[in-house]
Amino acid sequence: MTSSRIWSWVAFGLGVAYFLLPLVGMFEFSLRARRGEYSFDAYASVLGDPQFRTTFAYSVTMALVTILLGVLIVLPTAFWVRLRMPRLRPLVEFITLLPLVIPVVVIAFGYIRLYNTSSILPLTGSVMGTNVLLALGYASLSLPYMYRAIDTGLRTIDVPTLTEAAQSLGAGWATILGRVILPNVLGAVLSGAFLTFAIVLGEYVFAALLNRPAFGPYMVWISGNRAYEPAALAVIAFAITWACMGLISLVSRTQKHTRARS
Amino acid sequence: MPYLDISHLEKSFGTNRVVKDFSLPIEKGEFVSLLGPSGCGKTTVLRMVAGFETPSAGAIRIEGKDVVPLRPNQRNIGMVFQAYALFPNLTVAQNVGFGLKIAGVAAAESRARVQEMLELIGLPEMGGRYPFQLSGGQQQRVALARALAPRPRVLLLDEPLSALDAKVRVRLRGEIREIQRRLGITTIFVTHDQEEALSISDRVVVMNAGIADQVGTPFEIYNHPASPFVASFVGTLTPFEATVVDPAAGTVMSGGLTMNLGRALAAQAGASLPIALRPEAVHLGRASGREIVLPATAREVEFLGSVIRIRAEAGGQAFLLDTFNRHDAPPPQPGEPVEISFSGRDVVVIGGR
Amino acid sequence: MTSRVRPGPGGADPHVDGAVRAPRSSRRDLRPALNWLGIAPFLIFALLFLLLPTLNIVLGAFRSPEGGMTLDHVAKLFAPSILKAFWTSIRISLFSALLGGLLGFLIALAMTHGGLPRAVRDPLLTFSGVASNFAGVPLAFAFIATLGRLGFVTVLLRDWLGFNLYATGFNLLSFWGLVLVYLYFQIPLAVLIITPALDGLRREWREAAEILGATGAQYWRMVALPILTPAFLGTIALLFANAFGAVATAIALTGSSLSIAPIILFAQIRGDVLQDPSLGYAIAFGMIAVTGIANIIYIVLRTRAERWIK
Repeated sequence: MTSSRIWSWVAFGLGVAYFLLPLVGMFEFSLRARRGEYSFDAYASVLGDPQFRTTFAYSVTMALVTILLGVLIVLPTAFWVRLRMPRLRPLVEFITLLPLVIPVVVIAFGYIRLYNTSSILPLTGSVMGTNVLLALGYASLSLPYMYRAIDTGLRTIDVPTLTEAAQSLGAGWATILGRVILPNVLGAVLSGAFLTFAIVLGEYVFAALLNRPAFGPYMVWISGNRAYEPAALAVIAFAITWACMGLISLVSRTQKHTRARS
Repeated sequence: MPYLDISHLEKSFGTNRVVKDFSLPIEKGEFVSLLGPSGCGKTTVLRMVAGFETPSAGAIRIEGKDVVPLRPNQRNIGMVFQAYALFPNLTVAQNVGFGLKIAGVAAAESRARVQEMLELIGLPEMGGRYPFQLSGGQQQRVALARALAPRPRVLLLDEPLSALDAKVRVRLRGEIREIQRRLGITTIFVTHDQEEALSISDRVVVMNAGIADQVGTPFEIYNHPASPFVASFVGTLTPFEATVVDPAAGTVMSGGLTMNLGRALAAQAGASLPIALRPEAVHLGRASGREIVLPATAREVEFLGSVIRIRAEAGGQAFLLDTFNRHDAPPPQPGEPVEISFSGRDVVVIGGR
Repeated sequence: MTSRVRPGPGGADPHVDGAVRAPRSSRRDLRPALNWLGIAPFLIFALLFLLLPTLNIVLGAFRSPEGGMTLDHVAKLFAPSILKAFWTSIRISLFSALLGGLLGFLIALAMTHGGLPRAVRDPLLTFSGVASNFAGVPLAFAFIATLGRLGFVTVLLRDWLGFNLYATGFNLLSFWGLVLVYLYFQIPLAVLIITPALDGLRREWREAAEILGATGAQYWRMVALPILTPAFLGTIALLFANAFGAVATAIALTGSSLSIAPIILFAQIRGDVLQDPSLGYAIAFGMIAVTGIANIIYIVLRTRAERWIK
């Protein structure tokens, strides 16, 4: 027992070193903008850059739209599959896992080919259309995470009984989904939402290929043009990811807490 | 010398003493149950015998040799767990043959032994199946065969029936007892179900808060509970507080009623004495040999099938009584006046004979 | 059964409400069709934004400019430079998946069964969530700032220990450099996927094996590892696809100096390098084929590894 514990700590220590050093290096580098001393100049420069603000705002908006789309698509589907079509679960699960298997760059290529100006649905023809296409693309990227999170949430509640109870009280489908199911899986939905937020905010390939002014392409652009700002940006991006994951674990902990009462 | 001798066993987790000075000598081939509510330390005792927990003090001797320093895989003990702990990746035959394979038994011999075990548990055709293809009861039978296949010196059963349906539970406990008798294997059975413990065991140990409150045959435990805890935990009864009137004659008084218990009492006159009545000792109506008759009112009537349990009230005191169901004699309605009768000789004296 | 469908006041789902108003006999016949309607939005979405775009690429790879079938595009995959790019991609993905899967497994093992205190577990899992999503541009910066020529660790090693990392032939912008960087998100991803499987190992299995005489090693070899194999294979497959499609990290790290399949395709679509539209189709098809084959291998292995699961 003790030898396995020592071994565990050694492995743990090596892991900590590997995972912390790049973060330390990144942070240290971001402070080096002023010659000879540490300063937050790089951060000031980044935050003062109007392009940072517009691209960041654009990506946050995209992330929120994506979350909304994702929940609207996934929640009713996962609910319906649990309630009525359990035999389709493997198929639906398979489809939701596809974005992890098909390379994003291929999907993006497919979009450009399928929705170009000469197609039946020329989404890339206008700015708004491209925005819509980008949001839909992000929604499909978020499918694996959203579906898994929400389906796990649904597993912990008795969907058929809750549905029948609501129906016997005269509730319609919108009421059942919005007022009965959603509050019960809110934690799961939020987990999926935060994860989606983190993914969309840093996403590069879709935005770059569809030529939208998002945060990911901005980071690449600045990396080719500045020295210390990219590191500052990376620290900011890391902090945002950390915040999203922290919120997820916070949400799941409070969920556990409320569930423990029953 | 007992075959398996547990002596002065202690176990503490931090400052929490979960097993206190537990001693239990077990003869070869004996079937002993550890009975008690959850948290009473019964499972901890079993896990110390198995070797999964190290005692804080005390000894566990098998055939005179202390096994405490041995690791679980050196003790040659068989164990069946509460939840089906079959290895899901192995077939039934591979599960049963696991211990033999570890012991390096030759393939042919192992195969014969596995088949013998499968026949013993009545599943001779199931060797090629995987655990997920079996019912809960079948899985527990296979778990039993797996534990028995390497011919262990002692068999430990950790609530093996608690995850099963009521019907399967009753049937399987009979089968376990029969197999145990046939193999003559020394067995410790842990349960929180008093009916299970009473029905299956040679001896029952009733445990409470880490202490063995009483050790005895099911008959002794049920009829002569050594403590109020045993009395309340094993079976159902109506407790009374009585005052000893004449210890030599066995006369006591309770609630203005004088009773002769028909035996000498080891207590001073005037001392208070906890006594109790089992529901089956109380009779509805008068009957020969039941000298105490009380007018009462039926309060609750529970129809249990072959038995009807009635809660009646007499002189402000509640009595539980069981009466056999008879199709030509419907039970009284709640609120109906009835007569109840019992004999002083059937009164249980808690903590004495 | 029929009582399950009741009219809702808001008429949230017109299809279902319509079914209730329909005559009784036809209602039963309509049920299966109506059930399909419930997941129709999802299926249409998946079709339009996942399946058709992919299918379009696959078909495009075989369509000649005149509209007929052709193998000319796919043949372009066998040009030495493209083959080499694919081979590099596959090797990076495979190494980072195997190493990441193995190391992630060991970390998850230390966390779940290695006696690490409970207090380590939650932060470790949260951190894994962060790091597994910390791919792309910021990750590349982090490693350049750490192990690049002027990176934090490189400088520390040189100034304090007199050790010149780059003299050993190490280069962050190389094959192994890329693997090292990819591991930063591969290992945590493996931890996240394997941990539930390790949690699923029941204490009773270990104890049952032990009391039957097995040593710890025998328990792992005969029981635990076979039980974990399907989850482990799944992790490797996912990690492989994850690395194979990673574009942003590679581009931010190496620009286009390292030639790997997704970067070539990316550049091709952007139109900055090659100007051969059919080559784009071919490379995209090649990438689908690689991940497809990887997943077929995974499914075959998994089926063989989990005969015992329903």
